[in-house]
Amino acid sequence: MAAQGWLRTMQVSMNYIWRTANIRGPSCIKAKVLCIQECRRTFITSIVRQAVPTTQILMPALSPTMEEGTIVKWVKKEGEAIAPGDMLCEIETDKATIAMDSDEEGILAKIIVPEGTKNVKVNQLIALMVEEGEDITQVEVPLDTDVVTNPAETTDHSSHSHTDPKESVLMSPAVRILLETYRLNPRLIPATGPKGRLLKGDVLRYVAQEGKPFTKPGEAEVTTKTAMPTTMPPLVTPLQPDKSETTEAKPVAPKPQSASRGTEYTDLPNSNMRRTIAKRLSESKANIPHTYASTNCVMDSLIQFRKGLSVKVSMNDFIIKAAAISLKQVPEMNVVWNGKEAELSGQVDISVAVATEAGLITPIVKTADSLAVAEISSTLKDLASRAREGKLKPQEFQGGSFTISNLGMYGITEFSAVINPPQACILAIGGTRLLFNADEKIQSIMTATLSCDRRMVDDELAARWLEAFKSNIEKPSRLLL
Amino acid sequence: MLRAGLRSLTSTSPLNKPDLNTARTYEQLKAGVSIKMRMGCILKIIVASPSKKGLLVRARGLASEVNEAEFELSDCPIHKLDSGPAKKAVLTRDDGLHFYRQMQVIRRMENAASTMYKSKVIRGFCHLYSGQEACAIGMQAAIHKDDSIITAYRCHAWTYIRGIPVADILSELAAPCMLMYEVNDVKYDLSEKLKGEGRKNGCSKGKGGSMHMYGHEYYGGNGIVGAQVPLGGGIALAHKYRDNGQICVTLYGDGAANQGQVFETYNMAKLWDLPVIFVCENNGYGMGTSVERAAATTEYHTRGDYIPGIKVDGMDILTVREATRFAADFTRSGKGPILMELTTYRYYGHSMSDPGTSYRSRDEVQSIRKTRDPIMSLREKLLDSGLADTDDIKRIEKEAKEEVDAAVKVAQAGPEPALDDLFLDVYADDNMEGHKIRGCDNWIRQATN
Repeated sequence: MAAQGWLRTMQVSMNYIWRTANIRGPSCIKAKVLCIQECRRTFITSIVRQAVPTTQILMPALSPTMEEGTIVKWVKKEGEAIAPGDMLCEIETDKATIAMDSDEEGILAKIIVPEGTKNVKVNQLIALMVEEGEDITQVEVPLDTDVVTNPAETTDHSSHSHTDPKESVLMSPAVRILLETYRLNPRLIPATGPKGRLLKGDVLRYVAQEGKPFTKPGEAEVTTKTAMPTTMPPLVTPLQPDKSETTEAKPVAPKPQSASRGTEYTDLPNSNMRRTIAKRLSESKANIPHTYASTNCVMDSLIQFRKGLSVKVSMNDFIIKAAAISLKQVPEMNVVWNGKEAELSGQVDISVAVATEAGLITPIVKTADSLAVAEISSTLKDLASRAREGKLKPQEFQGGSFTISNLGMYGITEFSAVINPPQACILAIGGTRLLFNADEKIQSIMTATLSCDRRMVDDELAARWLEAFKSNIEKPSRLLL
Repeated sequence: MLRAGLRSLTSTSPLNKPDLNTARTYEQLKAGVSIKMRMGCILKIIVASPSKKGLLVRARGLASEVNEAEFELSDCPIHKLDSGPAKKAVLTRDDGLHFYRQMQVIRRMENAASTMYKSKVIRGFCHLYSGQEACAIGMQAAIHKDDSIITAYRCHAWTYIRGIPVADILSELAAPCMLMYEVNDVKYDLSEKLKGEGRKNGCSKGKGGSMHMYGHEYYGGNGIVGAQVPLGGGIALAHKYRDNGQICVTLYGDGAANQGQVFETYNMAKLWDLPVIFVCENNGYGMGTSVERAAATTEYHTRGDYIPGIKVDGMDILTVREATRFAADFTRSGKGPILMELTTYRYYGHSMSDPGTSYRSRDEVQSIRKTRDPIMSLREKLLDSGLADTDDIKRIEKEAKEEVDAAVKVAQAGPEPALDDLFLDVYADDNMEGHKIRGCDNWIRQATN
């Protein structure tokens, strides 16, 4: 198998050399021979064009799992001399940014992949080198960089029996009709049936994964028929038109693992917001010593009080107000971590977690302690609606000294939240539920769980604050101050 | 004897005095090199003399051809010895060119391995020898072909020097593309498990990979750090037991030098006066830890305590050769073990997963490459002394490049080992006819031959 793949690549490269040699006229038979000798001599790294022997620099795999990488920076410039061991460029792999060194000496003749290019595949041609004394202006970039595709990689692909272009694909008439309807290349679809038989399920899964549009027969008769090997059944067309001849050997189908795994999955690309959430919250949970404290608040009087109000305010607004007043009463709790030590916040700014489609965001109710409950309510309504539309200004959700996350409306009993750094605390509010008390009286109970940064907030302090919060929320008259 | 005679002839030869030659000698004298020119009239004697390494001196047409030159060697500190190795050494043209060719091939072979690794043709373990070439070649030049060698995992160069072709080594490194087989419709993929093993035409039939290559009286690379040292002691014990006059060169790195088993071996080797040369190839870093941070004393040649030692400049091939010759004579004469520390340097990281620049500066590597490179220094010696001209050098470099490029092709085109090969080579003897061994489950049983 390996030999076959290698031979095929060799053939392609030979054809290529002959082709270029022929362009230069019949008088250069000698040159042709030279070309072939050169090609044979330095099969992997060098090819000859215009009599300037070049060494091809391919994208290296700088980590065992690297498939592609980013060229962060070219350290050497075109025309610069290179000694063995010199750094050529910096490459960002899937794990880190690593320098790529040169083993050879020579002159960097041509940078083919400029710096900043992302997703450069391993073994892709990225630059050309020539020996010292050669004229770098004579160097030509090979048009077809696949001439030197790595034989091992090629055989790697072709060793999956179902993608070998030399074999015909086993399939039932139903699958055949399906392929014709969708105008698909059977070789691009991972076959999971016995002996490489292509199943209807394989095609349907492929269509679903690739999001192939249904193409009416006769509509997409593109030019690709010539690109198909002669042994192929005539029902195929498809393929990306930009990849012409080489596509046959490189199935772009989803990796075979997904087929053998049996389950289907979809990768959801990260939004910027999701990325920020992921980064900040992992940092928080990993670096901040979280400590938790819960208290049960009796909500009956607040519920009664709210019923008697003419203005429409939510329980959440009361909770914000109660928390704000408690922070005023226990100011040591109103702190943020400045990187080295706790820093008292001058005012009580309460971040309120609001769910949006993109993820949770925390708009800030500023100076919540001095706002009336109705004011809090209107401010929050405005902030929340703009948050859902994604129209918050940065200063409206960045900062804040304390966060409240309320899942009460979902009937959650209680939960613990991850601290939103650099803040010290986050209060997680559960839903109100009916419980018997010691006197066998029914009470409405709400569990509030406080997550604290233990570096700044001792358990005793957290308990003191929760006590204040509890007494505030249980006596609504205090909230009117 | 003959050589000594020749040298006296040379020095008395009136032809040694022309202006041109004097000027040239003066240049070398300035550079600390003394050379002796031999003229055409003596050429015949050399041609007729039996060559030491079995290579005939090529008689070239020019009368002023230099066929041997004498060089001053780097200083070798000694431990528990009355005298050290020779301070001067004679290099013949043939030896010089032969060494240069071997060094070039090894350097290019390791570069090719690095390139293949970065193209994912080679997977798994891979430790490269670039920068340390003078050690292996210098030592081999001073021992007999039947003397034993056992080394650690950085073993590609030794494998080549012990007669394995480059193509076989690179084939051993090139990992199989895909090893899949099917039993009762269940697919097994062995490619991950066998990552790092090579092609069927490799020198260990594709089953050894980078760290497990063997040859005549070459007990291979060994994957376990330091474990080859007791093995080397055992080989030396075998030589003593058989009284065959052979010695064993046991190599280890500066990292392994701190291991307990090394000192246990020192003890037994000295107790029994085994014919062994312990060689500590000190390349300055045990993986990513510099010797200063790892060892209580970095004078590795003294760490055998009761075992005599020599500290040798491992970047100068002639110094290594003469020191090894001294050590080999010492231990072969029955005086017991001797320790050699070769101070050298590796250009690549510890292995391919180590970029090699996080614990030492890029400038450090580049300055060693520019000032102490063993290949460069040999080339300078050859050119300065007139043992070779630039045409010779260019020709050798071209040949080495061709040899390695051809080997790369062979390695990439080589067949993968068949699955059944897994069960072969389990027993050393062929008389296990019909004996079957079990695979990883009870349903797989396979003949071992």
